[in-house]
Amino acid sequence: MTDVMTKDPLTSDASPPASAVDAKVSIKNLDFYYGESRALKDVNLKLEANRVTAFIGPSGCGKSTLLRVLNRMYDLYPGQRATGQVLLDGKNILDPGVDLNLLRARVGMVFQKPTPFPMTIYENIAFGVRLYEKISKSEMDGRVEAALKGAALWGEVKDKLDASGLSLSGGQQQRLCIARTVAIRPEVILFDEPCSALDPISTAKIEELIDELKSRYTIAIVTHNMQQAARVSDRTAFMYLGELIEFDDTPRMFTSPAQQRTQDYITGRFG
Amino acid sequence: MTSRVSPEGGPVTDIAMKQAPIGAETAQRARALAGFKLGDRTFYWLTRSAAMGVLLLLGGIIVTLFSGAWPAMQAYGFEFLWTSRWAPQLEPQPILGALGPIYGTLLTAFIAMAIATPVGIGVAIFLTELCPVTLRRPIGMAIELLAGIPSIIYGMWGFFVLAPFLTNHFQPAMISLFEGVPVLGTIFAGPPSYLSLFNASLVLAIMVLPFITAIARDVFATVPPMLKESAYGLGCTTWEVMKNVVIPYTRVGLIGGVMLGLGRALGETMAVTFIIGNSFRINGSVFAPGTTISAAIASEFAESDGVHQSALILLGLLLFVLTFFVLAAARLMLRRLERRAGG
Amino acid sequence: MNALYASRRRRDFSIRVLCYAATALGLIWLALILFSLFSNGFAGLSWAVFTQMTPPPGSTDGGLANAIFGSIAMTSLGVAIGAPLGMLAGVYLAEYGRYEKLSDVVRFINDILLSAPSIIIGLFVYMAVVKPTGGFSGYAGALALAVIVVPVVVRTTEDMLLLVPNTLREAASALGLPRSLVIKRIALRAARAGVITGVLLATARVAGETAPLLFTSLSNQFWSVNMGKAMANLPVTINAFVQSPYETWRQLAWTGALLITLAVLTLNIVARVLGAERKQK
Repeated sequence: MTDVMTKDPLTSDASPPASAVDAKVSIKNLDFYYGESRALKDVNLKLEANRVTAFIGPSGCGKSTLLRVLNRMYDLYPGQRATGQVLLDGKNILDPGVDLNLLRARVGMVFQKPTPFPMTIYENIAFGVRLYEKISKSEMDGRVEAALKGAALWGEVKDKLDASGLSLSGGQQQRLCIARTVAIRPEVILFDEPCSALDPISTAKIEELIDELKSRYTIAIVTHNMQQAARVSDRTAFMYLGELIEFDDTPRMFTSPAQQRTQDYITGRFG
Repeated sequence: MTSRVSPEGGPVTDIAMKQAPIGAETAQRARALAGFKLGDRTFYWLTRSAAMGVLLLLGGIIVTLFSGAWPAMQAYGFEFLWTSRWAPQLEPQPILGALGPIYGTLLTAFIAMAIATPVGIGVAIFLTELCPVTLRRPIGMAIELLAGIPSIIYGMWGFFVLAPFLTNHFQPAMISLFEGVPVLGTIFAGPPSYLSLFNASLVLAIMVLPFITAIARDVFATVPPMLKESAYGLGCTTWEVMKNVVIPYTRVGLIGGVMLGLGRALGETMAVTFIIGNSFRINGSVFAPGTTISAAIASEFAESDGVHQSALILLGLLLFVLTFFVLAAARLMLRRLERRAGG
Repeated sequence: MNALYASRRRRDFSIRVLCYAATALGLIWLALILFSLFSNGFAGLSWAVFTQMTPPPGSTDGGLANAIFGSIAMTSLGVAIGAPLGMLAGVYLAEYGRYEKLSDVVRFINDILLSAPSIIIGLFVYMAVVKPTGGFSGYAGALALAVIVVPVVVRTTEDMLLLVPNTLREAASALGLPRSLVIKRIALRAARAGVITGVLLATARVAGETAPLLFTSLSNQFWSVNMGKAMANLPVTINAFVQSPYETWRQLAWTGALLITLAVLTLNIVARVLGAERKQK
């Protein structure tokens, strides 16, 4: 594991003592291309276990692209490719031989818009679990309940598990999606602007949830809402035009950023 | 290897979160996923083969028609195209030429389109611009349903109802109107005939009418409402908006739609077979009996053999090539419109 | 200025009148067709139509029982063969091969087959099946219908799958779902109503097809459930009876035409209602 601990000019001064937390994911010299155009430029960064890392930056800066590299979601589309290294527990997930389905089982993702599947609430969760485990009906009931509790949704849906997932409100749908992700026990959870389509109350619930989830998962969240980044994250990365400009402890990032551009963005001078 | 930190009394205590050692869990999932590998590959290849099957289908049609038509091609060569005599019973060697059916096919399709295009587009304009909103759906629905009625029904109706009416009323009037007029006098020459190219064309026109209307309406719907609204905002009348905004904007698609209708009219069998007369002789008058390629095949194929059958297949191949080009052009045009509407 | 405006108004008015006239003309034709069909068709509707066989030459009495059965059998088999093939190909175009050049070619060819003259399909199946196997058969008829079903289902399946948002596919993939399951359990499930609509429309389309059956299944005046032999069916029977000298035979043709039309219209309406439900969701 020594390579994960290698000193990295961007992150070394930001991290607390290396022994305190492990780098779950380390990104090294990552470039990303949409066809000919280069969307990420030499990104180096570590996601630590049990920490929330937020990515901020103006739209088009590559923050969502970076997230979609971490579970190789971009592989669904032609002409998109990543070069460099992304190590998950020391294994490069960009290697051609990587089992993408297994990777995605380990690195879960919650999307910008809630995406319940066209089936019942129960099935929305059981569906993914059944993929990996053959378990009895009663065990499955327990898993569904646990996942819904974990997503703070159980109380609202326990009497209508057979209703369609599409019948829920937007905020509930998003929590259903989180429950679905949690139910298959990932190690890393990626949130891609999870609250941008939600009202403030639902947003608050989801932020609370993220805070609870970090005790068990490595979390990365992309957000265009700086207050949200400040509220939920331990580390913040500021990206601009495909480059990682600054990466630091969240409080420091929002009080005394090292870079002028970060300062400008955070104080609302552009973006 | 790093290991995950175990949950330290999180707010939820549950069985879902019980941590197994990572290596073991990952291995178990990998096994579970491996179980899907075969099915995953199989499904991919099934769908891919089916998609390639569509290409094979076209290839198969061309190859079989070609091989079936080969004896006739050898026997008649290119002369087949401009020979107007059709004598399958002639001994020792039948004389067979495609000119009659080709003439009939082109003429009936042309007349049908000349009638159906303006009427069909007129109905589409009515539906998109003039029709009260409450009537729009029922009329639109009726048109779509009628486009789905099997062509043999149109053919039957033409045979039992339309042909007697045209022969007794419309044809005599036209014949006496144009008698003695050069050119037109030949086109509309008598005597009136129950079985005629004109009667068949009219049935064809009625059959493709709902089809053209449905496409034209869809094509008009691709015009961005803003474009129309800004023209109305300038004080344009309905017709001016259609002429200056909607029709220019949708021209490519409209032509594509009309050509799609043409493709249908060229290849239609059952709507014309009953009333075209199945005569291979070319007579200048539209009121004379004639035949089309598809009608010729429909009425003679089952009882044909040898070079006669091969010649009928060659006619089919000619029809296929002709409609292929018409339809290909139509699709290319419609695609251009779609792309613009999409982007 | 006023004169100009008046002339513009006049022009607009006359075009409007023409459009109204076109619509009236179109609707009148179609009303006339339906009127003759219903009045003549219902006149001959009786139990005998469903219980007796088609009349043999020389006889004037009979029904359409064997033809109705043959039509149902061949249409069902044709759809049962064509629809799965069409769905699989549509899945490939919309899912695996969406961005491939080759898919563009397949799409284009499919669109052409979609409106290819149906009599050509009859010739094709005659050459490919009837001639090599040595005889007309219900199977050959069903195959010809299947060839017509395929492009219709390919097109609707692809269109319906394209309406499924990519975010749903991504969400399913993000759970680690293998691609085939993303398609079968999520995408096709979301598009289910639309795909069923497409199959119903394809069924409606082939239920009345005549030309491809003329020299594939031919006809048969006896009751036969053996699809390996020539088989009676409604369209070909109508085709034969329309030009018959017997009044009763022509009456049977009208009744058969009515039955086909009712079946086709019902399928169309059911398909549309299903499609509308999907849109409301």
